[in-house]
Amino acid sequence: MQGEPSDLGHLQSIMRAIELACSSIQMNFNPSEAEATILSLSQTPHPYQACKFILEHSQVADARFHAVAAVRDAALREWSVLTSVDKRSLISFCLCYVMQHASLPEGYVQTKVSSVAAQLMKRGWLEFAAAEKEAFFVEVKQSIIGRHGVDVQISGINFLASLVSEFSPSTSTAIGLPREFHEQCRVSLELDYLKTFYSWAQEAALGVTNRIVESDSAVPEAKVCTAALCLMLQILNWDFQHYSSDGARSSINVFSVDIRYNGSSAIRSECILVQLGPSWRDILISSGHVGWLLSVYGALRLKFSSEGYWLDCPIAVSARKLIVQLCSLTGTIFPSDNHQMQEHHLVQLLSGIVQWIHPPDEISKAIECGRSESEMLDGCRALLAVATITSPFVFDGLLKSICHFGTISLLSALMSNILKSPMINNPEEETWSCVARDILLDTWTALLATAECSNGIAFLPSEGISAAASLFALIVESEVKAASTSAFNDDDGSDYFQASISGMDERLSSYGLIARASIEFSVPLLTRLLSERFAWLHQGRGTADPTATLEELYSLLLICGHVLADEGEGELPLVPEAIQTQFVDITEANKHPVVILSCSILYFAEKSVDPEIRASIFSPRLMEAVIWFLARWSCTYLLPPEDNRDSNNSLVQDTSQQFRKTICDFFGEHGQGKHALDAIVRISMAALISYPGEKDLQELICRQLLRGLVRRKDICVHLLVLDSWHNLANSFANDRTFFSLNAALQRSLAQTLVLQASGMKHFEASLYVRDLMSHTTAYLVELSGKNNLISVAQLPDTIMMVSCLMERLRGAASATEPRTQKAVYDLGISVMSPVLVLIEAYKHESAVVYLLVKFVAQWVDGQIIYLEAQETAVLVNFCMSLLKLYSSHNIGQISMSRSSTLINEAKAEKFKCLRALLQLLASLCSKDLVDFSSEPIESQGISIGQVVYVGLHIITPLVSMDSLKYPKLCHDYFSLLSHMLEVYPEMVAQLNAEAFVHIMATLDFGLHHQDIEIVDKCLRALKALASYHYKETIAGRLGLGLHAAGFKDSDGKFLEGIISRFLFSLLQLLLFEDYSPDLVSAAADALLPLILCEQGLYQQLGNELIERQTDPEHKSRLANALHALVSSNRLSSTLDRINYQRFRKNLLGFLIEVRGFLRKA
Amino acid sequence: MSDEEHQFESKADAGASKTYPQQAGTIRKNGYIVIKGRPCKVVEVSTSKTGKHGHAKCHFVGIDIFTAKKLEDIVPSSHNCDVPHVNRTDYQLIDVSEDGFVSLLTESGNTKDDLRLPTDENLLGQIKDGFAEGKDLIVTVMSAMGEEQICALKDIGPK
Repeated sequence: MQGEPSDLGHLQSIMRAIELACSSIQMNFNPSEAEATILSLSQTPHPYQACKFILEHSQVADARFHAVAAVRDAALREWSVLTSVDKRSLISFCLCYVMQHASLPEGYVQTKVSSVAAQLMKRGWLEFAAAEKEAFFVEVKQSIIGRHGVDVQISGINFLASLVSEFSPSTSTAIGLPREFHEQCRVSLELDYLKTFYSWAQEAALGVTNRIVESDSAVPEAKVCTAALCLMLQILNWDFQHYSSDGARSSINVFSVDIRYNGSSAIRSECILVQLGPSWRDILISSGHVGWLLSVYGALRLKFSSEGYWLDCPIAVSARKLIVQLCSLTGTIFPSDNHQMQEHHLVQLLSGIVQWIHPPDEISKAIECGRSESEMLDGCRALLAVATITSPFVFDGLLKSICHFGTISLLSALMSNILKSPMINNPEEETWSCVARDILLDTWTALLATAECSNGIAFLPSEGISAAASLFALIVESEVKAASTSAFNDDDGSDYFQASISGMDERLSSYGLIARASIEFSVPLLTRLLSERFAWLHQGRGTADPTATLEELYSLLLICGHVLADEGEGELPLVPEAIQTQFVDITEANKHPVVILSCSILYFAEKSVDPEIRASIFSPRLMEAVIWFLARWSCTYLLPPEDNRDSNNSLVQDTSQQFRKTICDFFGEHGQGKHALDAIVRISMAALISYPGEKDLQELICRQLLRGLVRRKDICVHLLVLDSWHNLANSFANDRTFFSLNAALQRSLAQTLVLQASGMKHFEASLYVRDLMSHTTAYLVELSGKNNLISVAQLPDTIMMVSCLMERLRGAASATEPRTQKAVYDLGISVMSPVLVLIEAYKHESAVVYLLVKFVAQWVDGQIIYLEAQETAVLVNFCMSLLKLYSSHNIGQISMSRSSTLINEAKAEKFKCLRALLQLLASLCSKDLVDFSSEPIESQGISIGQVVYVGLHIITPLVSMDSLKYPKLCHDYFSLLSHMLEVYPEMVAQLNAEAFVHIMATLDFGLHHQDIEIVDKCLRALKALASYHYKETIAGRLGLGLHAAGFKDSDGKFLEGIISRFLFSLLQLLLFEDYSPDLVSAAADALLPLILCEQGLYQQLGNELIERQTDPEHKSRLANALHALVSSNRLSSTLDRINYQRFRKNLLGFLIEVRGFLRKA
Repeated sequence: MSDEEHQFESKADAGASKTYPQQAGTIRKNGYIVIKGRPCKVVEVSTSKTGKHGHAKCHFVGIDIFTAKKLEDIVPSSHNCDVPHVNRTDYQLIDVSEDGFVSLLTESGNTKDDLRLPTDENLLGQIKDGFAEGKDLIVTVMSAMGEEQICALKDIGPK
């Protein structure tokens, strides 16, 4: 290693400087200077000798820590210039250091050195020959199996732990290389080493077992065993990809996140499946590993009372974790012998685990008396793991082979015990019983969700069903009790409240699964509990305080909703399988338990229409639950579409047809369906107007219940003939009542009402939309025609009115469908000039301007693809006048206020407007992509490209660098820009210099943005620009003309052409700045055409770069790399796909080769 | 604000009323509201309930549009709040006088000389500098509940 100061005195002075710096940091004395000293160590070239000297001689632990950190930084930076001997000697130095100083007390230095050794080894992993790696590992193995004493043994195991975590993609340290590198390392370690490491850990643990078991107090060997167990656990936690069941995944796509569970079952607790291949069988299964582990833990359990060991001591904790992890072992490690080996394995594990959780009552008593709950929780986790990989039958059978009860009975006994615990309903703190309840609920979910996928026919053993039934009864009892005790709690801190709602939702859906498993018991139970409470309310009306009962009803309604129906999530939910397949023998609809339950709730809800009863019983909160239930229920049960679904399974088809017949008779077209629909509409209408200011409730009605109804066309048809619905539409259109709703909800309601037109014929639909909105348009037209508009417009009531009406218009525009398109178009046309007048009148009220612009954007978005050429021309002209008007109001304007909050709010509002304008332009663009008109729009002399460029031209001066700090605006702006540059590069040439410079400045800003997506968009735009220019100039045309050649700006200053400017700044970015490795491909695509356009400049920049290097070796390497970048891989000077791909490879190689030493310089 | 005060103010101003009642539940962020007798811009609205089965209340955080002071209020969401009538008018700036007043040209051609320059150094600087550079400035004056203040400045090119 040349160039290193080697005399002893110099080394000692460095060491003293670093030690001094370390101690002054600790005493907080001039910390910035001390930091600079330490930093300078890692930034000097070849600091290794000094660092080694410090490591070996310094008495200050911090100094050693920083020295080894410096070794890491320097080595990773200089890696490409180090010789392979240097590299290996650095690694072996670190390894030897760890082993030799294993007994030193400062653990953090040891950990750091081991992790540096691991990182360096990974950096060189792909270059070292197998024998070289072997040489390192021989030493490691010797220490692990205990040749050099306990401390060295622990160090060795810890080194392997750092190595494994370094090679696992989620925990690896960034070393500035592309993801493919990490991926290759991962695969190599997974295939060639992990199993070996595991066996070493086993060997180490086995070697010390006797000492631990035989001695009565804690021995140092226990630490070895703990470390070994941790390493085994870490290896089992590795994300094995090679052995996973679908072969496709192991081949490609390292970026995909695989989804192990289908969406129906949300498992909250962590449960990682360990999928292993047959090669692991000998060390995990046939070597008696499980037996050994259980016996060690069993021996430890006996010692818990004695000194040195307790339930939560490290060795016990890691042993338990490993046992739990082994429960989730699956994959081809088990031969296809009908699961016998796997079952045997699980039975063996459960025989040990059962002592942790059985008998449940004694154990929970012990925990309440102060025993640690961790063993019991681990037992629950083990059950969860087993449940995830087995079917309910197998799960239940596992314990039967060794005890007199089944696993499901144990599960249900555990759960009942926990639900009875007095701590369970304490929402303030997360108690052990809550944790246990959540894990066990997940276990049920895992069991029942797999069962539900398999069509749900007799999926649970009969004792399982009765266990589920009694469990559900307990759950409901406990929830109802919790509800009534919490009814008077006033303090719902709203943040906490929101969080707990989603948590509760998950819990309720698990309850729903349990209830469906025992549906014959649970539905009648719910019916009984509900009717009891309905009766209490009616009896006690006006006399007793109903609050507790109301809260009980609230929680029962939520449970009912989860039991009876699934969340549609935008799709049409089916009747749950369990409900379809049960009750087949009941043919009389009105005796069907589900019908009885549904009817009793509907009947109860209908009473809310009566003002007197509403006032005394239906509190806003109860009404929320009622509306939520009706929304969920009606999606599944109300007026089900008839026989349009087929099931493949004939048995299921039979039973479900049976079921469908029963339910169709009842809630279908010819049964109670229409009545129920009418009731729902009446309930909604009454609730909307009689709970003023209850936003949550109104939101539920507008956004969920009514919206859900109009989503289905067959329901729209029925709504059409309902008086109650006409009543609703009529009051919305003509009365003032609905102005008391929040404006956003009026938008949603307008949207819903217009969407309902999908149930009508074309002509009717147009008339309907016109009638619905006629008052709105008339008001706006009249207002805009007033002489004293400026003063009237600023009155608060006018502002409120205009805001509400614009929201309604926007709602109607967003509901545009082919059937209503014409009507909505006319609607927009009639308010076109009022909108412009109002934008003028409200130029100081950006909140209103935003609503106006947002409406136009929404309207254009819905209309543009349908419009004929002439209509398009009208619309485009309107948009242009709007843009010009907006821009004339806002250019050069400065808001002034003493309050910085108000200034920021005002800015934020402006940016929202600007963003809406960008969206408007973007939707104009879509005309070129999708167009349903009969003749091309060019016949009217419109070119969308041109129009949008004019728009951009108007807007860009308003888009300041300041405003691009708003992420959403920034995103929209660059999306539009990159789209425009990619699709219409020829238009750029026509922009004037000022606009062009501005656009390019924003592009330059975007290139250095921290959001990868934005940089990617800018790179795509650059690629489009440069390749357009290149292709044009080759064909002998002007291309970007002056913009590319450079020109003089208004001050007479010469501006460089953009191609050369971006060539320079892109190279600068690639070589010297920080960016995500994911961007290299996109950057290559932009760089290639830039280089091709300006080959002369590329040469010149390259030469300058080479000249700047002082080291002759660097010079030649850089020159070669620069040459290879444009010549290797048979790169040609065309812009086709293959050439782009070649250049991507070249650039990647180039960056790996030179970026390290260039950035250092 | 009590009803008494409200009436008093209404009488004092013979023209359009200075405030207007609006249901609390419909007032949105960025709207205006009167809190403790001061015109404010709403910067935050949240709702809560009085007890689990009680009615909703709105919690408003507003910033006084003249003094920039932060004010808060809690109103049952079905009740009415006062919303101030905030008016903004553009004038051309014709002079900045030494004694701290500006001279403005109204649309009808008269001058308006009763408006003080802002006291805030920063705003003052922007107006004075722009005026000194000979820029053609339009100032926007915001008035509400009997107070007025310059709230925006726009440069429409050199003179």
